Amino acid sequence: MTGYVLRKLGGALLVLFLLSVVVYLLFYVAPGDPARLACGPRCDAGQIRQVRDQLGLDESLVAQYLHFLQAIGTGRDFSTGTGVLHCPAPCFGLSYQNGQPVTTLLGDRLPVTASLACGAMVLWLLLGVGTGLLSALRRGGPAERVLTVLTLTGTATPVFVTGLLLLMLFCASLQWLPFPSYVPLTEDPEQWAWNLLLPWTALALLESAKYARLTRSATLETLAEDHIRTFRAYGLRERAVVGRHALRGALPPVIALNAIDLGTMFGGAMLTETLFGLPGLGQLLVHSVRTVDLPVVVGTVLGIGAAVVVASAVADVLYALADRRVTLT
Amino acid sequence: MTNRRESGTWGRLRARPGAVVAAAVLAALALLALAAPLLAALEGQDPTTYHDDLIDSARGGVPLGPYGGVSGAHWLGVEPGTGRDLFARLLYGARISLLVALGATVLQVVIGVGVGLAAGLGGRFADTVLSRLTDVLVALPMLVCGVALTSVVPADFPRPLLLVVVIGLLNWGGTSRVVRAQTLSLKKLDHVAAARLGGSGPWRVARRELLPALAAPVITYAALLVPTNIVVEASLSFLGIGVKPPTSSWGQMLSTATTWFRADPLYVLLPAAFLFVTVLALTVLGDAVRAALDPRERSRLRVGTPGGRRLRRERSAAA
Amino acid sequence: MAEPVPSSHPSRTATRAAAAVVAAVLAGGAAACGPKDAGAGGTGAAPAEGGTLTVLNSEPQTNFDPARLYTSGGGKVPTLVFRTLTTRNRADGAAGTKVVPDLATDTGRPSKGATVWTYTLKDGLKFEDGTPITSADVKYGIERSFAPELSGGAPYLRDWLVGGDTYEGPYKDTGKGGLRSIETPDDKTLVFHLRKPEGEFPLLATQTQFAPVPRAKDTGTKYEQHPVSSGPYKVVSNTGDGEHLVLERNPHWSRRTDDQRHAYPDTIDVKSGLDPAVINQRLSTGSGADAAAVTTDTNLGPAELAQIAADPELKKRVGTGHFGYTNYLAFNPKVKPFDDPKVRAALAYAVNRQSVVNAAGGSSLAEPATTFLPNQKSFGYAPDDPFPAGPTGNPQKARQLLEEAGYAHGLTITLTHSTAKDFATSPDVATAVQESLKKAGITVKLAGLEDNAYKDKVHSVTDEPGLFLGGWGADWPSGGPFLAPIFDGRQIVKDAYNFNHAQLDDPAVNHEIDEINKLTDLTAAAKRWGALDRTLGRRALSVPLFHPVYKRLYGKDVKNVVISDWDGVLDISQVSVK
Repeated sequence: MTGYVLRKLGGALLVLFLLSVVVYLLFYVAPGDPARLACGPRCDAGQIRQVRDQLGLDESLVAQYLHFLQAIGTGRDFSTGTGVLHCPAPCFGLSYQNGQPVTTLLGDRLPVTASLACGAMVLWLLLGVGTGLLSALRRGGPAERVLTVLTLTGTATPVFVTGLLLLMLFCASLQWLPFPSYVPLTEDPEQWAWNLLLPWTALALLESAKYARLTRSATLETLAEDHIRTFRAYGLRERAVVGRHALRGALPPVIALNAIDLGTMFGGAMLTETLFGLPGLGQLLVHSVRTVDLPVVVGTVLGIGAAVVVASAVADVLYALADRRVTLT
Repeated sequence: MTNRRESGTWGRLRARPGAVVAAAVLAALALLALAAPLLAALEGQDPTTYHDDLIDSARGGVPLGPYGGVSGAHWLGVEPGTGRDLFARLLYGARISLLVALGATVLQVVIGVGVGLAAGLGGRFADTVLSRLTDVLVALPMLVCGVALTSVVPADFPRPLLLVVVIGLLNWGGTSRVVRAQTLSLKKLDHVAAARLGGSGPWRVARRELLPALAAPVITYAALLVPTNIVVEASLSFLGIGVKPPTSSWGQMLSTATTWFRADPLYVLLPAAFLFVTVLALTVLGDAVRAALDPRERSRLRVGTPGGRRLRRERSAAA
Repeated sequence: MAEPVPSSHPSRTATRAAAAVVAAVLAGGAAACGPKDAGAGGTGAAPAEGGTLTVLNSEPQTNFDPARLYTSGGGKVPTLVFRTLTTRNRADGAAGTKVVPDLATDTGRPSKGATVWTYTLKDGLKFEDGTPITSADVKYGIERSFAPELSGGAPYLRDWLVGGDTYEGPYKDTGKGGLRSIETPDDKTLVFHLRKPEGEFPLLATQTQFAPVPRAKDTGTKYEQHPVSSGPYKVVSNTGDGEHLVLERNPHWSRRTDDQRHAYPDTIDVKSGLDPAVINQRLSTGSGADAAAVTTDTNLGPAELAQIAADPELKKRVGTGHFGYTNYLAFNPKVKPFDDPKVRAALAYAVNRQSVVNAAGGSSLAEPATTFLPNQKSFGYAPDDPFPAGPTGNPQKARQLLEEAGYAHGLTITLTHSTAKDFATSPDVATAVQESLKKAGITVKLAGLEDNAYKDKVHSVTDEPGLFLGGWGADWPSGGPFLAPIFDGRQIVKDAYNFNHAQLDDPAVNHEIDEINKLTDLTAAAKRWGALDRTLGRRALSVPLFHPVYKRLYGKDVKNVVISDWDGVLDISQVSVK
């Protein structure tokens, strides 16, 4: 077990290291000069040089990267002009654009994205796996048809279309829900859920079709397998057959895919976050890529990377559990 | 043996009315896309000419007349803001969208299945390396890569090809994970384990025992990758690596149309409906192919379990 | 330069990609679906004090340091916190382009041929902590804008003040008594020494760099988290890096010293990071706090206008604003074939401005432009069209000119534009230009670049393409900041962003700019700017395309709506919600 954990941890660190290197390299080729952007459009060459000095951009890319690694380990002090801003370890630097510590920016936004991603995941699993099971077991029923069409429509519709339609319907026309604005879970759990309901739904509609189809296909496969046929032949109740055995066949692909989707949701929900005005990581990423704000981009991508690594590690564990039971039967 | 199997799959496929209809719909879509210039000429329009006289400039450029300006000259109306013919743009857009989405899907499936199989069948080391590589790829936002790519790729590089490559190379994480998970669980099944114990190399095991069994989830998943890729193509245009104007694509149309769904609903509904029909047809067909291939049966047959043979007899009787 | 919202001048508003994404995609569906109560909206009922004004914005106030803000803050949040030596007249339309005193008793007293400007502070001015505002605080505010840590402001202080080009701000230069060209002979007086005559100095003094900053409270780069207020409101909370601001009354601000800001509401609640389509949807629905809401950075989009045109209740709640801004085709005459004036003139004749205006949102959101100067009196505008071709262009005339220039069999050119979805330089406008030039036998290849790459390329003296989509906004409503950076040969910038796209260095033009800058009579100056623009227009160094128009939707409980032509922003210092 210790070996397993250590191996996972090593893998995770490797992923984060690779990500930071890749982002640094990508920024090397990407257009836009952060010093010029921070300085404003009408700066002259001298002012840009000063700002470049100030941001440490006059150093070579390798030196910048080493400083970045060092600050993660030991923290770093920055000048505010009038004093010193201490950025404690692990320090990811300050935003080029407004001098805020990246860790503060990430800390503000991570809960928002985590709330969005996890809630949406619960919803898409319920909707997806539910629809999949229903369509595997009761083929052709009206409920199954409605759900299948709904999930397929969701997949074929960009989230900005679905999201705006949901807003128009539930917030503007019917006024059943408030226009979403993020309320921290710790502050008011009920408001947190109400405000996130629409973003969750929009994402769940987008993602659930995959789960529905995978669940359906895997369940059909499993139901056709010999041992299930045997159980049925022995007169085991249908619900028991499905619950204990058929569903288990669907678990591996669903778990695997879910890990990926949950991970990408941390960085990929930018359209949803923007549409619903949720100040999450996706919004931060878009803004910082636009302004070539390297420390913020690296920080955000590492945050996303951490989420992906955790999600895939959890998936591995879950998968091992599910798998053992399959082999047991 | 091969022939018999082929005909069996085809036969089962042909016997499903849903599959036949779905295939016909997809063929019709492909035909519409291919014949876009011909059909637009038949209508007497092209996808790029502006018609300023057909829109109401003071009201944001909304098309004049009911249903988004549908008329004898413009069969599906005109685009708000420009007056370009929607019928022509929709058909020309189908070419790009279908090409890009299918191309990217093929790339994703090939890479995803390859990496997933290798991770599942290879040793712990190979699995760790490949899985972490997938993690890096999944965590790396397309936005970051896209912005960097725009400055590296020459401006005259064919755009649809670039889109296929970008979407294909960056979005195979899901496929590879699903394949890896399935491989890990299939590895433990009797017939696969038997083959491995019997001395078959990993490549032979992959080809003869696993790939057939993986067909089901992969086909199911790939059918839904197509619409996802069309939507991704739409969002890439915001990074400057989507289709170049004045070229149209369904994704491009959907994204510009969203704002108009109250003032000009048809403008939104048209690309949405085409996309939906494509998805539905692909799903039905994917299901049918999955059922028709019936992987377990074939692999069982080869290993020689009696269960497989019995199953097959029953199935053919049912069909 | 390129921006979706005009409110804060060239470019600095790093547009959030996704905001722009969804904005362009979605700016839609504003409709009357909320409850339609009969509350008196607009300017009808008498405004009163009290209540909470909600501000729904797309751009967060990421920078809230007066040194780093590019413009006067216009009618936006900073205007509630920062008072400046002068400010703009808070009035609707053209009257709003006048400059009036704010902290100072007048708009400035010129001497020595407008190279020296003297200001006297009003009596009884106080910061939010009750300490009096002195001339040293104003001077310190200007000085810190020179610090590289706090860069971002406009270039005028650097270019105009004696020694401004070498001064590096108060953090580096602690002992030498600061910038010597700003004298503070006593607590109330400021004397500015300029390198050359600048008749428009009072207009510069509206910018937030002229807001007082108490040296003792300066925390450098951290100051923006809680800037010390000199205005009617103070910052009570600033969360999420400017996403959510709450402002409450500053008890030390006095109406007696400030006749420009009404400050009717008790509280201002600013929520930003919202999608433009959602902002307009919320304003039109107006449920709860949204009934008393405005936006200072979001326009109505074309689809929303189409929708609102059909709804009389909503129609009443739309204000119209103008901002001195021109979108144009920019030529670099150093690149063939644009060295030939006939080719440039051919493009000017061929372009179909009706198509271009439609691509920019239609005639309610854009007015066709035939002059480089914005079509406002304060800029010295007089109707003019050096290449009259009617609203849809004159392809025949263009063909004829091309034939004379030796391109009888057509011409293939490349148009560089940004792929950002803001309507100034967007692919939509580029496509409309492409389509309209086709009729004159000109084949246009579109070169769409990512926004940063686009800006780097078109503003580089060495890399500048021959033809690109450009836009220019006024730092204040006058011909000076509009024409000089574009046409003054001494403002060709070699190692940073260059805005003189034609790289024109004509002694006669340079001389005329200097002569106009000597004028302290702004009306007389405006006439001369207008005349200069008409002369320049005939050289076809650019093809003006359109001037944007702004349509601002506001909540149904909002009263006293004022939108000046200074920047077209709905002025939140005027709004009442009771």
